[in-house]
Amino acid sequence: MAVEKLDLVILKALALAPLHGYGIGQRVEQMSGGVIRITLGALYPALQRLQRAGLLRASWSVSDNNRRARYYTLTPSGRRRLVTAQAAWERNVAAMSRVLYADGEPRP
Amino acid sequence: MGFWRRIVELVSGRRLDREAAEELAAHFEMLVEKKVAAGLDEREGRRQARIEVGSPGLAREEVARGRTGFVIEQAAREVGYAARVLRRSPGLTALSVTTMGVGIGASAVLFALVSAIVLRPLPYPDADRLVRIFDTNRQAGVDRSGVARGNLIDWREGAPAIEAIAGFYAMGRTFSTEVGVEVLITAQVTAEFFSLMNVQPALGRTFTDAEWRAARFSNAAAPIGPDPVVILSHAIWRQHFGGAQDAVGRTITLERRPFKVVGVMPDGFAMPDAGVALWIPWDLPADAPRDQHYLGAVARLKPGSGLEEAEAQVNRVAADLARAHPETNAGWGVRLSPLRTETVGDIGTMLWVLFGAVGLGLFVACANVALLSLMRSLDRTDETTVRMALGASFMRLLSASLLESALLAVMGGALGVAIAAAGVRALPALTAALPRLDEVVIDGRVLWFIVAVTAAAAVLSGLPHAWRRTRAAPAAGVVLGSRGATDSGRRHRLRDAIVVSQVATALVLLAGSALLTRSVLELRGTDSGYEPTGVLVAPVFLDSQTYRSGDESRAYYTRLFARLAAIPGVTAVGGATTVPTSPLGPDFERPVWPDGAAEGSSLRMPASVRMVTPGYFPALGVRVADGRAFDDSDTPDGARVIMVNETLALRLWPGRRAVGQRLVVDYSTAGTYPYDVVGVVGDTRFKGPRSDPQPEIFFPHAQRPYLILNVLVRSERDPRALMPVVRDALREVDSQKPAQGLYALEDLLGSTYARDRQAMVTLAVFAGTAIFLAVLGVYGALSQRVRERAREIGIRVAMGADTRRLVGWVAWAGLRLVGLGVVAGLVTSWLLAGTIEGLLFGVAATDAWAIAGSVLLVAIVGLVATLVPSWRATRIDPVVVLRRG
Repeated sequence: MAVEKLDLVILKALALAPLHGYGIGQRVEQMSGGVIRITLGALYPALQRLQRAGLLRASWSVSDNNRRARYYTLTPSGRRRLVTAQAAWERNVAAMSRVLYADGEPRP
Repeated sequence: MGFWRRIVELVSGRRLDREAAEELAAHFEMLVEKKVAAGLDEREGRRQARIEVGSPGLAREEVARGRTGFVIEQAAREVGYAARVLRRSPGLTALSVTTMGVGIGASAVLFALVSAIVLRPLPYPDADRLVRIFDTNRQAGVDRSGVARGNLIDWREGAPAIEAIAGFYAMGRTFSTEVGVEVLITAQVTAEFFSLMNVQPALGRTFTDAEWRAARFSNAAAPIGPDPVVILSHAIWRQHFGGAQDAVGRTITLERRPFKVVGVMPDGFAMPDAGVALWIPWDLPADAPRDQHYLGAVARLKPGSGLEEAEAQVNRVAADLARAHPETNAGWGVRLSPLRTETVGDIGTMLWVLFGAVGLGLFVACANVALLSLMRSLDRTDETTVRMALGASFMRLLSASLLESALLAVMGGALGVAIAAAGVRALPALTAALPRLDEVVIDGRVLWFIVAVTAAAAVLSGLPHAWRRTRAAPAAGVVLGSRGATDSGRRHRLRDAIVVSQVATALVLLAGSALLTRSVLELRGTDSGYEPTGVLVAPVFLDSQTYRSGDESRAYYTRLFARLAAIPGVTAVGGATTVPTSPLGPDFERPVWPDGAAEGSSLRMPASVRMVTPGYFPALGVRVADGRAFDDSDTPDGARVIMVNETLALRLWPGRRAVGQRLVVDYSTAGTYPYDVVGVVGDTRFKGPRSDPQPEIFFPHAQRPYLILNVLVRSERDPRALMPVVRDALREVDSQKPAQGLYALEDLLGSTYARDRQAMVTLAVFAGTAIFLAVLGVYGALSQRVRERAREIGIRVAMGADTRRLVGWVAWAGLRLVGLGVVAGLVTSWLLAGTIEGLLFGVAATDAWAIAGSVLLVAIVGLVATLVPSWRATRIDPVVVLRRG
């Protein structure tokens, strides 16, 4: 998964409420209808990166079923980044659509 | 990310890693819980979760990778791991390190030589503007000779491209102290010499203008001016004044005259050459002779002026002088050559060839280390496949493999530095006279070279192993300890290629060393025209203060010869102004022609002039081809007689007898007269076996006395054993006139090709080492093949295979390696033939004997290397092998 897409997905998943790593994976899978699955090897480095960039904050806490887990929260700058990144993504998708369907072929 | 955060990460790396591990573990547990909740049992849930998650170690590492300091930690871990691997097989490691260390050390020494002698400029300021000047006369067939003192000032004034010119002349002078008497090489130098070289004295000063003007010389090059002064070389200052600061102002005794010391030159000032111990001033009067071509000359070009430009300007002056003074200057021009070229000479070719040879040797050494690593890695196939299965990346394995060889190379490089340092210190003892030898040091450039070579060695010796390793297929090896018939052809192709390249390189070195050996044998076997065995050479420099007349010097030599002839075992005693292979004495040429030859005739040619005593020809062992040799009847007031060598006789009187002819010699100040040719002697290769015989004329010393004679003593004894007696005889005749030194003529002759011998020995050592390493390679490759195929061989033996065919199978594999190596080596030798051509004498670079001999040696040694593995193959016990499988 391309980095910007992965970052966007993670930020979006955390927009509603703080989650631990496993929860982020579950949420993304659920939101995408099972299409997007984030592997372990991609998820945690991405979390590290976002944290380092100041977009996320992490803190240890206890999960629903009494397990110690690290919860990730969006920082204010994380929220701002989500807005701009989402806008950029949408522009991109729209642009791509125009290119792909410029010949007037019916959409699949 | 802030700087502070980086620091925190750096120091708390372990905690961060632990947290990441905990987080991942939590993730894994949650996954398992979900699986269990979905109805799987605990075990199956774990299994599936593990498959889904992949390598936990890899994920941990991925997380950690982003952290500051991780790369360093990982590198440290890898180095530690590589060190452990190397420690596990100390024997192989020591062997690899030693092989590399010797290779790196030897190439560093050679590089230090090339760097100091060939690459670095001379140790004088703006040395690239210093040139030597030589006279040349195409009409007279003189390619290059010394210059005449009388022309220097005209050149200097007529050539704007030249800033300064100085002339010099070196000769032996007797230096007396309370402890003894010795003959030192002194250089008399004209004004501008020191300012032109632009080197400041270490102590005191150089000569003043007044001292230079006062420094007049007699015809016999004896300083006769008032209040003579001298400058000491650094070496003689250390030796005779113990490096005392107050040496300046003291006096020394030179030729029984007191000379005041005015200065001491710094260490490394070696002009005109490294043997000069003292400098004395030499005046440059306007009426100095224009036709006595015996001076050395050095000039400094103006900044921005080219050598060709200066040469053209001086030649224009020379042409003007030829018109103004046709009797002395007609036909004479000049040649300029960089001082560096003249100092270093043709040593460059030899050094580059040896440097190349050492490089090839180092290549073979690296190949051997590569083979050793490969063999080690084959024993570790399981480990590699396990690491790969655990998710180690391609780059990770590659870097791990290279790290092992890098560790080896770094240790080898350290050893190399030690070897190079010791080698450079030992150079003066090991090498024959090389120019600029005292400038050879381990400097920054050499150290950088060692670093570069070490890096190259690390890559060269590590790549095959690394390449092999990353190609290991995990699936094939994952069955731990399997002993299946996993004989992948690729693995052997790589190993075989290394062995073949080793054999090829060894053959190249061997062929080179065989060629040089043949060349040295040719040099040694060349008939020089005289018999050097049993001859002692004693260069004697009489001074004109004591020996004022010809009669006095004649009397000295008569007495000396009588004493020497009385020594038991001595068969002949004689002397000549110059003798073969000795650099001392006045060696000059004069124009000669048959009496009656027209002006401008092609029969006018220059001939080398030698004054000889009657004993000279028998003492040197030169054949008298026709007529008679000089004898006691050739007295000072007898008929003017002369002898010529066969080359001159043949050129002047082809098909006729030279004896009885009259030969005119233009002897400049001494006059031009005809002489009766009374005898013809055999040709000699005067400057060593490489030189061709030149036209020579001989005057009887009785008729043309000379103060300088190289005295020859032929005896039935070893000349070295005769030295003390000869020294005593010299002292008895004149206690203040020792010889400049005592030499065995054989040694002097040997020194003319000492470099060839040295190149031969060096190349032979490297060839020997290379062939040894190549044989080890062949042996190792075959042994391993037999070991790997033990099972197959066992089955064959069990099925009743013929041992002869088994041996044939192994031997064939070995011969194939050697054969391919020989072919590759022959092609390479052929390609490299041009580089060694310049070093050879009397043998072509493609000499069939040398090449065939080398091939034969490689073949025999290669065959021996196949014997042991072949024999071992026949000793394989099928029962043991099959049970183990």
